[in-house]
Amino acid sequence: MTYYHQEVLRLRTVICPKEYLCDQVVEAKRYIDDHYASIIRLDDIAGKASISKFHFIRLFKKLYGVTPNQYLVSVRIEKAKRLLKNGASVSDACYFVGFDSTTTFTGLFKKITGYPPSAILKKQVPATIIAPVIYNPAWKKES
Amino acid sequence: MKIVITSVMVNDQEKAFKFYTEKLGFIKKTEIPMGEHKWLTLVSPEARDGVELLLEPMAFAPAQVYQKALFEAGIPLTYFQVEDIQKEYERLKNLGVQFSMAPTKMGAVTLAVFNDTVGNNMQIVQV
Repeated sequence: MTYYHQEVLRLRTVICPKEYLCDQVVEAKRYIDDHYASIIRLDDIAGKASISKFHFIRLFKKLYGVTPNQYLVSVRIEKAKRLLKNGASVSDACYFVGFDSTTTFTGLFKKITGYPPSAILKKQVPATIIAPVIYNPAWKKES
Repeated sequence: MKIVITSVMVNDQEKAFKFYTEKLGFIKKTEIPMGEHKWLTLVSPEARDGVELLLEPMAFAPAQVYQKALFEAGIPLTYFQVEDIQKEYERLKNLGVQFSMAPTKMGAVTLAVFNDTVGNNMQIVQV
């Protein structure tokens, strides 16, 4: 066994001592991936993990570096980028990915990507930078 | 400023090109002759406009010491994300790729490490 393999095995006991809990959080993250356009309540996804919602948020953040809501926003923005790139209007993209306000959508989109959703429609954004986004907690602090 | 290219030092550019295209499935993006070597970059067919991987000849001797130490410790130089790590692991194993770490869970991710045959360990990751 290599040094790296040993370190991976050591670190996983540090990161997630109870593997069944990790598995449940991963399952909840997959639920967000599959149902991002629906109304997702924390109680529902924490319930899927069979743990309290406060413990769930802590564990989710420990595993993914962001809260479940921040992750949901990042998934929705990523999906919206693809829709816009394929010619969807801003409002269609907004509602299709699960936001219920174009103002909220536009604000979050710009905060996360650095440009407004309309910039993709106007082809002001080079295709090369229409790349996946992961929510950065720092964005929240800026608001 | 944008991150456009990341490089991997390889001890044989032609052998690396064959491994990274024929086994891993990447495709050539740029090839520019440069003396005895070439500027050779690859992209994933799933992200042709994504970050390019530069197969950079290992022509600077001191760097070999660093590369060798990483390799012997089983430490991957970088990683590639896959949708289904078990499926990719089986696919690569069937192509003769040597793994020093079979798919192993660590928190929310599953990792596996293989030998790229040109001096490096590489890692595939399923998030």
